[in-house]
Amino acid sequence: MALSGFEGFEKRLELHFSGDNPRPVIGIGLRQLDVKAIEEVLDAVQCNVVSAVGNPFLDAYVLSESSLFVYPTKIIIKTCGTTQLLKSIPPLLFHARQLGLLLCGCRYTRGNFIFPKAQPFPHTSFREEVVYLEQRLPSNLCHRKASIMPSKANTKMSSSVHSWHVYSACDEHRMELETFSNVFTIEVCMTELDRVLARKFYRRPGDGNSGDVAGKEMTELTGIGNINPRALVCDFAFDPCGYSMNGIDGAKYSTIHVTPEHGFSYASFECVGFIDDRHNIGEVLKEVVQVFRPAAVSVSTTCVDQDQEVWTYVAGALEPLGLSCRSSLMDEFPAAGNISFQTFTTHRK
Amino acid sequence: MGSSFSDMQDVFPAGNGGNSPLSSKASRIVAFHSTKRWKAHFDSCKNSTKLMVIYFTASWCGPCRSMEPALDEFAAKYTDDVEFVKIDVDELMGVSDEFGVHAMPTFILIKQGKEVDKVVGAKKDELEKKILKHRAQAHVQSY
Repeated sequence: MALSGFEGFEKRLELHFSGDNPRPVIGIGLRQLDVKAIEEVLDAVQCNVVSAVGNPFLDAYVLSESSLFVYPTKIIIKTCGTTQLLKSIPPLLFHARQLGLLLCGCRYTRGNFIFPKAQPFPHTSFREEVVYLEQRLPSNLCHRKASIMPSKANTKMSSSVHSWHVYSACDEHRMELETFSNVFTIEVCMTELDRVLARKFYRRPGDGNSGDVAGKEMTELTGIGNINPRALVCDFAFDPCGYSMNGIDGAKYSTIHVTPEHGFSYASFECVGFIDDRHNIGEVLKEVVQVFRPAAVSVSTTCVDQDQEVWTYVAGALEPLGLSCRSSLMDEFPAAGNISFQTFTTHRK
Repeated sequence: MGSSFSDMQDVFPAGNGGNSPLSSKASRIVAFHSTKRWKAHFDSCKNSTKLMVIYFTASWCGPCRSMEPALDEFAAKYTDDVEFVKIDVDELMGVSDEFGVHAMPTFILIKQGKEVDKVVGAKKDELEKKILKHRAQAHVQSY
């Protein structure tokens, strides 16, 4: 276990907006944010745009430290390393307000940092993050909850001890949840990646290619391109190692980020899906895990509709791959609905 | 897409499309607003060995906006043997369907009426590399 290294575990922020009263027509909403506004938000977080693409439903940006997705009334930012993600909130709220949009829901989630002492303000602890959120979110978000969903682990590798931190808040109208009740989100965190497979995420020395071109090669060589062949992929390979990709398929996005270095290796997979397609999620998870063959995996599902039980497909997909379920929790959160958190480890240790 | 977006352009005038700052700045990127004129132009280019880069854009697409400065730079830099053309996918829906454009920005590289390469997304380095690759094939270029 390395003493220090790049922090792969991301912080994720999802903000939902609604139009303010006299202007109920939203149109393209947040997608109007101009280049300067987006740069201002990303400067606060300390990252920048590496590549981007848009379709009729959303704009997807690959960042120097993860991803940004902009829908008309929803924005998702996910950043890793030592970025100060929560600092994006004040400029985002400001620019959204200029467009006649008010915050009506917020969800902040993250796993357990491998190097927690390296994190800057306001991410030095979950308590500090919660205090920051409490102070920066407007008062119309009157339902709030913060919780850490733990896991049990009997392994010496601290990076295998995944827990899930959640903070969520919503207004009294509960953000017109019906709008979001047909989608679910899955967030997967993988550590202790198979060393041979992780090596595929290193650049070939002196290849002379740009990050875009090298990224495309990695997508093909690692089988990531096969996970959803229909998706439009924006990929990037960092120097000397590391990889990021966003895939967009209609209104759905998926995103993968890889830190391949041994000692602190990490990969994440996240996607949003329609409830009606939830039975396909098992196949997707299987393919993702087989790209990395990690020793530890944690999966969180978020779904507004309680009856849909998206989380039940997870264990069935991972257990046949040699991953045993060590913990399984579920809790209800304002704005998000039901959040489940399950952890799996191999019998390797 | 469709009528709701063109309605919004009146309320939020910052959008791109036909009235973008690019056209009024006498830039080297030629925007087409009619299918008829586009087809006429495309046909006339079939005999030329000059590389044509068609830039498909949409007013509702943030990544297109982030790519504009790079595009202006390329249009100025490669003006001698590359032609840059701009098409708004809402204005010329038939043309964008014909070229299979589903996401923006999309850059299609054409030589003598045939598609030789494509870049999907705001990928500055990849686009420049492909421009250099395809423009150099007709004759030797010294820098």
